Amino acid sequence: MSINLNVNSKSHEIDVAPGESLLKALRAEGYYGVKQGCDTGECGACTVLVDNRPVNACVYLTRQAEGKEIETIEASGEHPEQGWKLTEGLHPLQQAFVAGGAIQCGFCTPGMILAAKDLLTRNPNPSEAEVREGISGVLCRCTGYVKPVQAILHAAAVLRGEAEPGEMITPDDIDALFISLPESPAQETSEETQTSVQVLPKVLIAPQTKNWKHVGQPEQKVDAVKLVQGKPAFAADFEIRGMLIAKVLKSPLAHARIKHIDVSEARELPGVAAVLTHKDIPRVVYSTAGQSHPIPGPLDSFSLDNKVRFVGDRVALVAAENSEIADQALKLIKVEYEELPSLVDSRLALDNEALLHDQPEYVDFAESDASRNLAARLHIDIGDVDQGFEAADHIFEHEYSVPKVQQAAIEPHVVITYWDEDDRLVIRTSTQVPFHVRRILAPVLQLPLKRIRVVKPRIGGGFGGKQEVLIEDVAAHLTIAAGRPVIFEFTRQEEFVAARPRHPMHIKMKTGVKEDGTITANEMYCLADTGAYGSHALTVTGNTGAKAMAIYVGDGEYRQNPNIRFVADIVYTNTTPSGAFRGYGVPQGFWAVERHMERIARELELDPIEFRMKNALREGELQPFSTAWSEGREPVPETIETNGLEECVRQGRAAIGWDQKFGIEGWHQVSGKPTLRKGIGISLAMHGTAIPYLDMGAASIKMNDDGSFNLMVGATDLGTGSDTVLAQMAAEVLGVPLEDLIVYSSDTDFTPFDKGAYASSTTYISGAAVVGAAQKVADRLTYRAALILNERGDGPEVNPSEIRLADRRATTQDGRFVTLEEIGQHALHQGEQEQIMAVDSYVSPVAPPPFAAQFAEVTVDIETGQVVVDKLVMAVDAGIIINPVTAGGQIEGGMTQALGYAVCEEMIYDDKGVLREQNLRDYHIFQANEMPQMETIFVETFEPSHPFGVKAVAEIPTDAVAPAVANAIMDACGADLNVIPATPERIWKSLKESAELK
Amino acid sequence: MILEYHRPDTLEQALALLARSNPTTLPMGGGSVLNAPSDEEVAVVDLQNLGLNVLKLKGNKLNLGAALTLQGLLDNPDIPDALSKAIRHEATHNLRQVATIAGTLVVSDGRSAFTSCMLALDAQLILEPGAEELGLGDLLHMRTEKLPGRLLTQIVIPMNVKLSYDYVARSSADLPIVCAAVTQWPSGRTRVVLGGYGSAPTLALDGPQADGWQEAVQNAYGQAGDDWASAEYRSEISAVLSARCLENIAIIK
Repeated sequence: MSINLNVNSKSHEIDVAPGESLLKALRAEGYYGVKQGCDTGECGACTVLVDNRPVNACVYLTRQAEGKEIETIEASGEHPEQGWKLTEGLHPLQQAFVAGGAIQCGFCTPGMILAAKDLLTRNPNPSEAEVREGISGVLCRCTGYVKPVQAILHAAAVLRGEAEPGEMITPDDIDALFISLPESPAQETSEETQTSVQVLPKVLIAPQTKNWKHVGQPEQKVDAVKLVQGKPAFAADFEIRGMLIAKVLKSPLAHARIKHIDVSEARELPGVAAVLTHKDIPRVVYSTAGQSHPIPGPLDSFSLDNKVRFVGDRVALVAAENSEIADQALKLIKVEYEELPSLVDSRLALDNEALLHDQPEYVDFAESDASRNLAARLHIDIGDVDQGFEAADHIFEHEYSVPKVQQAAIEPHVVITYWDEDDRLVIRTSTQVPFHVRRILAPVLQLPLKRIRVVKPRIGGGFGGKQEVLIEDVAAHLTIAAGRPVIFEFTRQEEFVAARPRHPMHIKMKTGVKEDGTITANEMYCLADTGAYGSHALTVTGNTGAKAMAIYVGDGEYRQNPNIRFVADIVYTNTTPSGAFRGYGVPQGFWAVERHMERIARELELDPIEFRMKNALREGELQPFSTAWSEGREPVPETIETNGLEECVRQGRAAIGWDQKFGIEGWHQVSGKPTLRKGIGISLAMHGTAIPYLDMGAASIKMNDDGSFNLMVGATDLGTGSDTVLAQMAAEVLGVPLEDLIVYSSDTDFTPFDKGAYASSTTYISGAAVVGAAQKVADRLTYRAALILNERGDGPEVNPSEIRLADRRATTQDGRFVTLEEIGQHALHQGEQEQIMAVDSYVSPVAPPPFAAQFAEVTVDIETGQVVVDKLVMAVDAGIIINPVTAGGQIEGGMTQALGYAVCEEMIYDDKGVLREQNLRDYHIFQANEMPQMETIFVETFEPSHPFGVKAVAEIPTDAVAPAVANAIMDACGADLNVIPATPERIWKSLKESAELK
Repeated sequence: MILEYHRPDTLEQALALLARSNPTTLPMGGGSVLNAPSDEEVAVVDLQNLGLNVLKLKGNKLNLGAALTLQGLLDNPDIPDALSKAIRHEATHNLRQVATIAGTLVVSDGRSAFTSCMLALDAQLILEPGAEELGLGDLLHMRTEKLPGRLLTQIVIPMNVKLSYDYVARSSADLPIVCAAVTQWPSGRTRVVLGGYGSAPTLALDGPQADGWQEAVQNAYGQAGDDWASAEYRSEISAVLSARCLENIAIIK
């Protein structure tokens, strides 16, 4: 039926089906600022204004909207300069989001801005709490809402005429960024104020940075202006004629063999272009883990198999003209299953009768043993652990557990594939690892690698979930079969049942401690559940030990000779396969280690901070695991060159007011609330920065006529801001403002190789490559500047080594200069012509760890077990901070994800392997209106292995929130948790058990 | 899957459409639940032109049109604070703009904060055709029997009462694991409703006074165990929350 739709004051005559959502109709009309994050109204990425009210377009019918005014982000503002046409520019809200660093991946940004626009129309002077309520319908998984809330408050002030547009960070703010950190506790805030209204984190600055112009500055993100307009930057925002919709028939059973499958009726359905089963495609075993060659894990997966191993596993693939026909085709596929015994509990996995991988093609890696359901095994002994236990005065043994949890990036996995005019397969995909996608899929598709081009457009969050070659093969097989473009997009339900969540683990800790608190030996046994397939099984779990067990080496003689044992079994179960999730095994490890350390400190009546610091790894000591393990490769001993942990503890302790709260009589009580108790907790953390001798990143820089540069990187910005910080490093070397760097990432045809965005490596590895390439270009610039100046002959002869690059100029010591534009034009058009261009690559011999002190303050209701996390403070040594706004956003967003891990997120399977949480309503990620106050402090150290002294920042914020919260709960009321999330019932039970013991 | 969309201009037209059984025809308020993907093939009747989004105070009663949105109700300054809290807990700001009060009541399960409060308020409903009056409690467990072919047009709640609502959840905006809503009339009549479990909130007590509420709560949630919480926990915490609601009611002016 044809209806008239009024969008952004324009009339659209469109044909719509009765049940067609407004989201679908708007995107079909080219309004790509309306994003699809779910189709059940839970995430708000599709927010539009209907008659000036924010509405989730995914659950609003197009027909409902007939006769109403619809406003999308496209109406809000645009780039101010469009050639000869000048526009009014961006809306103050958009300007504030850009200026305030409120955009990370940008997928939720249009929805958030429209929700805010509605709020400010109704309430020009909202409180912070009202802002949070106003955007509560738009979920953000990246920012922790801190900067979006600040941006909206600032925009409100602008619209009231009380502030200037875009000036969220003033020169005074930047000066304040670098002042001394507070020695006294932070001021308590009112109930309404959940964040301090301050864009910049505090940075204790390293002296090496003082002369830098771009590195260390809160530069605006290079991609912010496009994202704030909702431009079609993401994988699904792409139009191509004749595109088919792909759907997957998923297994209803946890473990079964496909005895018979009949797709004849589905194939005959009009509008169906292809139906594929395991009988139709080559049987190629591979690993879906997006890692470097050779894959450090078993090869146990097929695009389609004659066996299903979890509820949600693939059975058949369909491509059709539209999603309705594809759905109908799925229903016409007849499958006869032979149900097999299934295995859901990892503790029963080894040698269970339910054997997941009995296929002859299975390829072992290291100690994997499919005949025992064992995907990987680790046994690492450092020092003499048994002797260490003998030397101890006390032995502490406890068991801890962590659940499976979902990344919940707001942009689902999505891929488009098509044959280009040269019969090369183009894969446009939301991936963190475009080069691994190309390499891994080539044999699966039986295409030479050179006939595949992978394009990584803008990514709407990944958090490790897109470090998996998860869906690209589906679309690719169907494009090969049908000869047409295909789009395949996970639904939110598929994200839960069939993506690659965090490994759940059961962890046993055993620690020997002397009377004075010296740790003599530390042992961890880890039973990790890799689910139905073993991608990342070895490496995730290896990091559980290699990072979390490395931080406490002991004191005195044990500093040089620590005794550490780490043993892990990583087993298969008939559940959703586990994979990479920000933190990559380390949050699981720190949950156990830091809960264990808290118990030891309390049982020995030691100060929890002093006990930790007495035994913690220090500068100049060996990373103990570097002598024994390196992600399945040969280890090389590595000395810790920089460690700001002590200062992190000092600063974090002051910021949260530890000394005014911990152990202070009366502080735990809440006036007028007899059932509430306050508590405070700490956890330390360390992580890694890339994988030494393996992770490789490369960059190329090309100069243009006007003195601008194309920076091309294979690194993949998921919203982290890596494109921006890489450009900042290049700008520093080349002496140009950030706007002169045009960043492109990434495309396997055009950008140099990069292993991808994982292992907290981009700023460090790819950054070093960028600096290397920039330095090569800089050398050509100074050479050519000298050439030009000497040709001019208006002064003494100049040597290139005497020329400095800054402010778009190449300047001699006596003040003569050539602009970079002159150099660009000279090089391309005038003399000794050349394309100034350079490429460089980098592999690191070390993986310098960032360190952090995480503090949490909570309030527990001792009658119900309900916990409210009031405040999180994280003080981080991540080396030099290239951009304090983007780095601060990483910490805020990471802490927020970790907060969910601490108190609410988990994935529970019934005994048939059916997942309880299959939508965001049941799973629940934090909304803007329920966030604690958060504070970030950076304690800079200068890591000597990097030209700008950086270490990693992306993953460490996920490591220590859960134990800090649990330790605070223990401090509040004595509830002693072994398991997260800290649900009300778990706290309540613990309180009851301790009451019964007394 | 929605096969047909209708937007009638009169109640009679709407009722005629809803009277059809083939295809199954359902009233659509905001559609925030109905419009989500489903395998069920239905026709929908959009109520937006029927003038049912009204709110009128008549004496001690607040008459609510079935198509009034949750936000429309929330914007009314006269509703009890506890009902405002429950509405905010029920749905995010975006969803409140389209979700209607009738639609919310009709599709709610035991975890609905709003339905728990409306049940505690002993909300009275009018179903057409026939202008049948019934209490929300009579409808909730009879939805599959009572609703086909019918349209809930009006909801009436008392305003001369004290309402309190409290809950426990994994986080403050999460669905309740246990919640309690308590209403007390000037006469002393007291209704205690428990939520967080099952297909609908449970009326634990409706008595001339609050006497016996502990036993009533115990009986109501003594077996209320599921994947989200044990019966032991729900039973004990529902008593805690009910007690708090009663204490709170005592201090509401």
